[in-house]
Amino acid sequence: MMASPRLFSLYDEPFWASVGARNLALQRCTQCGTMRYPPGPACPECLSPDATWDAVSGRGEVLSWTVFHRQYLPGFPAPHTVVTVQLAEGPLLVGTITPDVPDGLRIGVAVSLHYHEQLDGTVLPTFKLLKESIHPIALAEGLYRVGG
Amino acid sequence: MHKAAAVVGIGQTDWVGDYRRVRAGEKPDDSYGYAAAAFRAALDDAGIGKDEVDGLIVGPTTAYERMGEVLGINPRWGGQADSVQAVVQAIMAVRCGMAEVVALVYGNNQRSAAVQYGGPQAMGGDDFLAYVYHAPWGLTSQGALYALMWRRYMALQSATERDLAQVAVGQRQWACLNERAIMRKPLTMEDYLASAYVAEPLHLFDYCLINDGGVALIVAEASRAKAIAARGGHRPVWIHGVGRADMNRGATSMEPRLLDFYRPAQKLAADQLYAMAGVGPKDVDALLIYDSFSCHVPFALEGFGYCGTGDAGSFIAGTGIGPGGGLPVNTGGGHLSESYMQGWNHQIEAVRQIRGAEGARQVPDCRFVHYASDVAGKAVTVMYGV
Repeated sequence: MMASPRLFSLYDEPFWASVGARNLALQRCTQCGTMRYPPGPACPECLSPDATWDAVSGRGEVLSWTVFHRQYLPGFPAPHTVVTVQLAEGPLLVGTITPDVPDGLRIGVAVSLHYHEQLDGTVLPTFKLLKESIHPIALAEGLYRVGG
Repeated sequence: MHKAAAVVGIGQTDWVGDYRRVRAGEKPDDSYGYAAAAFRAALDDAGIGKDEVDGLIVGPTTAYERMGEVLGINPRWGGQADSVQAVVQAIMAVRCGMAEVVALVYGNNQRSAAVQYGGPQAMGGDDFLAYVYHAPWGLTSQGALYALMWRRYMALQSATERDLAQVAVGQRQWACLNERAIMRKPLTMEDYLASAYVAEPLHLFDYCLINDGGVALIVAEASRAKAIAARGGHRPVWIHGVGRADMNRGATSMEPRLLDFYRPAQKLAADQLYAMAGVGPKDVDALLIYDSFSCHVPFALEGFGYCGTGDAGSFIAGTGIGPGGGLPVNTGGGHLSESYMQGWNHQIEAVRQIRGAEGARQVPDCRFVHYASDVAGKAVTVMYGV
């Protein structure tokens, strides 16, 4: 069994619908333009309840990652890697990475958004490395030598 | 709230004995039973009867009403809180005149009841959505969130696994001197580095224990505290100050965790605390840090102003946080080696160190013990003192 998306609020449903359509969208406040994630009832900047669902660019940068060496959830046998990515639009998104333990995974590395269909048919956002496109700050700070 | 209240009694269950019994398949007690045992011990320690208690705060693992029923207490004020919030709320209640003698009781059967902190049944999601929200990607558990945070810290600050290993090794040294500690087998740097990863880069020894037990404290208004002490109890351990600051914005997607390392909250809480207490890091004789994971320690050393950002590893190596070190940290062994009482064991350890009778692990001339807690960006802190 794979871990299906869980709906923690009314606002998670459009998010997962956009993922299912392979066009991940987040709420953007119609009053101040702030994009927010997780989805919710009001803009955390201006409190406006009005928002549109806007597709994201799919570009981002790895903030961090962890490798699970124990299996915690069905469908994710160890070792299993999970990344946190800051999208070009600003919000942070957790994701799997494809392949699951890629060479060259580093903090600051650029990634692009893709979609992965699980065994139960649900679609999951996943990221792939853009190895040729390391974030310039990561290069400047010498973050390449950091490893497990 | 400076010295508005003092701790006049402490109690705990037999963590070591119950750990053995649970490992052997027994269920020694439930959460209420552990809490009741700790409460009895705290009353005995204070030298008072339960009829003197007019306030009750219970830990998050037990219901307020049922605990009052079990203990036979009809308080005029009460509530439910985690360990450090319980202390803060008790002082506020006393300062406002809502209560004079407040019992803080905690019991947790998390080991015998097989409470899960990760996986499909991960607890805590009602209060901290990040603990469960990313389950569709296979990410649950607080350990994984701290693994993400420590990985990024290592990269940005050029820190190493050896830097972090010093925490588990140092706290185990304290535990070896503490007969109430569960994990007392000596631990070396090599043992740590050879141990398995759980959520990499965190090793097994970076994780807290999971064990059953209970803790209780009796907090009394200043004049009542003096009167109780005069009747033959221990000398009061005063609460010199408190501080709190929370970072909730962006919490589920981990913005304050990964972009700020919760530093702004820790700084605000520390500034409040040091101003109220009139003492700061240079005056502190022992520092107790909420340590569900070892990396809480370097984050707190930096966030609460003991060393500069990125300097925790070299600070620990140069100053020493174990027995004989320049800054004793988690002198009972903490959550990693003594007992995982979710911050409650740190409160009674602070009281014990100020009382000054802890034998081999007693911090010499211990006048001020600082408790620094940061659970998912909720920074709360207390200064205990003579």
